Amino acid sequence: MRKQAMPTTKEPVTPAVEIKNVIKRFGTVTAVDNMNLAIKQGEIFSLLGPSGCGKTTLLRMVAGFENPDHGEIRIQNEVVNHIPPYKRECNLVFQQMALFPHLTVAENIAFGLRERRRPPSEIKKRVMGMLDVVNLPGMENRYPHQLSGGQKQRVALARAIVLDPKVLLLDEPLAALDRRLRKEMQGELRRVQQEVGITFLYVTHDQKVALSLSDRIGIMYEGRINQVGTPVEIYETPRTSFVAKFMGGCNIFSGKAISINTTHLEVRDEHGLCIRAQTSKDVKPETVSGISIHPEMIEIIPGDQDLPSSDSIFNTIPGKIANVSYQGDFTELQVLIRSTGQKVTVHLNRRSDNSMSLVKGQEVSIHWDSCHSNLLVG
Amino acid sequence: MSPRIWFLRIVSILAYIFLWAPVIVIIVFSFSANKFGIRWEGFTMQWYYKLLENEAVWDACIRSLVIASVTVVVSTALGTLTAYGLYKLKFRGKMLLRTSILLPIVMPEVVTASALLVFFIKATPLTLGYPTIIIAHIVFSTPLAVFVILGRMQRVDWAWEEAAMDLGATRIRAFRRVIGPVLLPGIAGAAALIFPWSFDDFVITYFVAGIGNTTLPVYIFSQLRHGSSPVVNVIGTLFILFTLASLLLFMLVEKRSRAKGM
Repeated sequence: MRKQAMPTTKEPVTPAVEIKNVIKRFGTVTAVDNMNLAIKQGEIFSLLGPSGCGKTTLLRMVAGFENPDHGEIRIQNEVVNHIPPYKRECNLVFQQMALFPHLTVAENIAFGLRERRRPPSEIKKRVMGMLDVVNLPGMENRYPHQLSGGQKQRVALARAIVLDPKVLLLDEPLAALDRRLRKEMQGELRRVQQEVGITFLYVTHDQKVALSLSDRIGIMYEGRINQVGTPVEIYETPRTSFVAKFMGGCNIFSGKAISINTTHLEVRDEHGLCIRAQTSKDVKPETVSGISIHPEMIEIIPGDQDLPSSDSIFNTIPGKIANVSYQGDFTELQVLIRSTGQKVTVHLNRRSDNSMSLVKGQEVSIHWDSCHSNLLVG
Repeated sequence: MSPRIWFLRIVSILAYIFLWAPVIVIIVFSFSANKFGIRWEGFTMQWYYKLLENEAVWDACIRSLVIASVTVVVSTALGTLTAYGLYKLKFRGKMLLRTSILLPIVMPEVVTASALLVFFIKATPLTLGYPTIIIAHIVFSTPLAVFVILGRMQRVDWAWEEAAMDLGATRIRAFRRVIGPVLLPGIAGAAALIFPWSFDDFVITYFVAGIGNTTLPVYIFSQLRHGSSPVVNVIGTLFILFTLASLLLFMLVEKRSRAKGM
């Protein structure tokens, strides 16, 4: 038999979780509005959004505690819509941890294995192994009320992972922890995920956690996905004004866009202020709703210095400093653009901008390269 | 020390004396040699020995025990199921059902008792005796069980049930392994309240017992009608000791469960 040539292109890999056209209503409220999402095998995917955006509802539908009114949920290409939670191959780490108070740490972790009628020797081995993975050696006979917050969280994690689920669902597990512990647990989560390789679906409202933990982020708002991308994409190039505002601190200039040339366009707001941005041939100017620019990307040119020569690829706008706020690692300025009344937030880095002494009321210009202008659609 | 604290102390002591005096009198006179048990005439244990020989008393006592045991088991089981439904399900008229559950307890005992008597005679083929007494007791104690267990359910974190289901347990298994054990102090508390209540009950039992089926309280009543007897004091003393033991047990169970952070 002749050997067939190996295909040079990769076969499409089955997504770990697929949400297809899912709708969920509670009475008159639509919690999840025709959502479509595919989560890749082995990635940490964060669903990020404000309270009430429907992310927890979606997570509970994947876990099996709610049923979609419409659409399909697939786990590894198997439709699970009507499969009860105890038969689904996914496990949930609860926000309140929900450890069983009358069982020891070992018994808590062993719970699912006992339900599966695994032999005691296997259960013991896997439980002890899991205690090592989450870094809790020697705690097997403690009770939940004897554990600290971080320890409880590790037990909750171990209890879910020991069952080797196809996807691990996490419902804001770090929300109940204080800031220092949160940072530590973030590192732990990443380490554990890399060690066991399970797909994580992580739900949170905390942008910082999502940025540092995820391989990809999906921003959710009012039951719909607004944007999906890597943390770099989501932060540096938000596509909508909601995403820009939600990720924090962005300055937004709304207005109509007109092309200047093949590489640049200009957005003119209601006061006539023009902001320039780089563009590509895929972008249609009529779809652009505005421009966003991060505070840390803006330079300050004190009023007495010469403005750089009028170059079409820079944005330079005169204004007055309305407020100076020292934050330690950076200084936050509010610059008032007199012609529009808009206040622009600027962050000056301690290392690079230390030479400037700026006071309230000083005349300055804000200045940035148009390649840092981010186009917003919708 | 300030006069206010002294006043408080005196009032407390008087209150305790008021509560415990009758009880202490009964206990003391159970050891008195007086034939009617109403005066002190010297220490004796004869009435205790006499009780051991009295067949009618044993008969009544065993009947009370059986009835109380069955009542406890059935009403705690019914109470748990009812509390579960009332707490977790949403249906029309739920509030109405929840408040009307207390009706048997709120109504005067005599009213409940006579209503049950009429019901048994007219509406059922049952003869008055064990079955009717037990049913009547269940009618009265199930609301109590529902009340206690419902209270306990407020302290249950239902995330535990969801966590158990997520880990592979069906709802029934989750109940067996997680919710049940957590509810146990509530169920035990209900049992500890219902058992003495059922054992001690007079009015309802008197109405629906029929002929020849005496429970211990009914026996004591019938004895008292013939003139007081020290045997009554003895039975009273034993009653008191038993009830005290039940309550202590209840408190112990509560304390242990609180220590586990539940």
